[in-house]
Amino acid sequence: MSIIEVNNLCFGYGDVEVLSNLTFEVEQGSFLTIVGPNGAGKSTLLNLLCKSLRARSGTIRIYASPIESYSSEALAGKVAVVRQESVPIFGFTVIETVMMARTLYYNQIGFESKNDRQIVNDALEATDTAQFALRPLAQLSGGERQRVFIARALAQDTDILLLDEPTSFLDLKYQVDIYDLLKTVQLEKDKTIVAVTHDINLAAQYCDKILLLGGSRAENSYLFGNTQDVFCEEQIEKAFGVNTFVGKVGQEKFFLPLGKFAKDSRKNSLNPDDTRRT
Amino acid sequence: MKELLTPKKLIVKIATALALLAVVMVVCSLIGSQKTSYGIFVHVRLPRVILACIVGAALACAGVVFQSLLRNPLADPYILGISSGAGLGAIIAVISGVNWTLWGRSPIAVFAFAGALGTVWLVWFIGRLAGKSHVTGLLLAGVVVNAFFSAVIMFLTSIAKSDQVYSTIFWLMGNMTEEDFFVLWFGVGCVAAGMLALFYISPQLNALSFGEDDARSMGVNIAGTRIIAFAIAAAITAVAVSLSGLIGFVGLIIPHGVRLVFGPDHRQLLPLSGIVGAIFLVAADTLARIIVAPAQLPVGVVTAIVGGPFFLVLLVKYSRRIGWLGK
Repeated sequence: MSIIEVNNLCFGYGDVEVLSNLTFEVEQGSFLTIVGPNGAGKSTLLNLLCKSLRARSGTIRIYASPIESYSSEALAGKVAVVRQESVPIFGFTVIETVMMARTLYYNQIGFESKNDRQIVNDALEATDTAQFALRPLAQLSGGERQRVFIARALAQDTDILLLDEPTSFLDLKYQVDIYDLLKTVQLEKDKTIVAVTHDINLAAQYCDKILLLGGSRAENSYLFGNTQDVFCEEQIEKAFGVNTFVGKVGQEKFFLPLGKFAKDSRKNSLNPDDTRRT
Repeated sequence: MKELLTPKKLIVKIATALALLAVVMVVCSLIGSQKTSYGIFVHVRLPRVILACIVGAALACAGVVFQSLLRNPLADPYILGISSGAGLGAIIAVISGVNWTLWGRSPIAVFAFAGALGTVWLVWFIGRLAGKSHVTGLLLAGVVVNAFFSAVIMFLTSIAKSDQVYSTIFWLMGNMTEEDFFVLWFGVGCVAAGMLALFYISPQLNALSFGEDDARSMGVNIAGTRIIAFAIAAAITAVAVSLSGLIGFVGLIIPHGVRLVFGPDHRQLLPLSGIVGAIFLVAADTLARIIVAPAQLPVGVVTAIVGGPFFLVLLVKYSRRIGWLGK
């Protein structure tokens, strides 16, 4: 069943059209990543999907109802969002931050119920953040903080999770940790995940479907489909405008951008088998 | 999860703070150069202490709201032009020479109240015109309107030949004389109602500390929360200003002090800031009254001289522990 349906979506800032005639759908319980060059409209699309922005034309349907028909309260019951770097100016602790996801469900005098506490506890456990629940957010590393925000999104107890570049600024281990966590959540809790990312290799490893935006800016083209169909050398080079080396590890393809000064820029001169040694 | 705020803990803290406030009020009413007779206690000291409570609580709560809505630790109740608006209102009242009264209030106070609210509305209006980045637009509008009105005040002061203008400026610098119990209870009612309403939306204010987009995706009604919070904060500040002129520092340091000690959760930050602000201003006003007796200091002098170092001690003691101000 499609949980998100996007039809002929158009959006622009001023005279600049960013998204035009975008059509795709997201199956319940699947993992979609949105990739593309800077300015292709990835974050814009994410903001449209959580109603932070309004489309110029076209429709977005969530559970078959137009997104406009949801109040912000109703939408918060369906969609949780993890944004890039949202640190408050005052020092909330981890548990206070995660508990805020339950704001909508607080009682009359503004306090959480036992059920809310249970949900928050589960979210802390699932993201492995319970160990520093009492520490202020500001004292955590980038990777820990990102996990806290994912915990907050989980505590909102929605079917859909939207994430805007969840692994930017994180080192390799944390990048893999975050994606492992997301994949676990997808599989174990049957969440539908839509993530914007710059990392096509992680996207290729973890997700079920890919939306590649802005293949050519003039046409505002896009590609939507299974990972293997969308991610090929030609499409990546067309979208990002950079020479790309494509290697294979087992059945998985990976992509390496080759700049002017790359040690060996003769494309595809390496035997794909060479890369297995590492 | 005993580390989270519970209603029980909150009630205990508020009750303790209120008890402390009561003690401070009584003690401060009894302190004085001459022996305190019943008449002086009831008709001079008590009204003054109650007034200090109202003003301290209003300014501290408004400070909390402005700091969190503007996401700016430097914000205070006067940041959106309330001070210059009130000043302009008061000066206009004096220069135009009106001499009626409204519920026993002088035209100066009434005009100051109207000027304060009018200015906040103007700043809000300009901020909206500035577009989507509402907070920055508001702050800039506040700064510009403040500067503009201050210049107008200086201009009017320069061309007016009335001695009264100077007394108005002195009045604006903070005064704590109010003997009319009706006005006092009216003030208590306004500020208490405002604090209750702010407490009611405090979970939403917590979420808003993470920024507009985050709060919206957690289901908070941004526009509603913001308008209610701004309107209440502006109204109680205007009440405070029209009762006692401009008293600096309370609205800036009390919220920070309480936040440093008790954390940023608005559900307890708002009530505790209000009560601590009241305690602080009662004590400061008593000092202002007795230090150079029989003369009196402007209370703003005391709030800055006493409050500044005290705040620095808090800052050094607690800031490392709680990782203050984000990163």
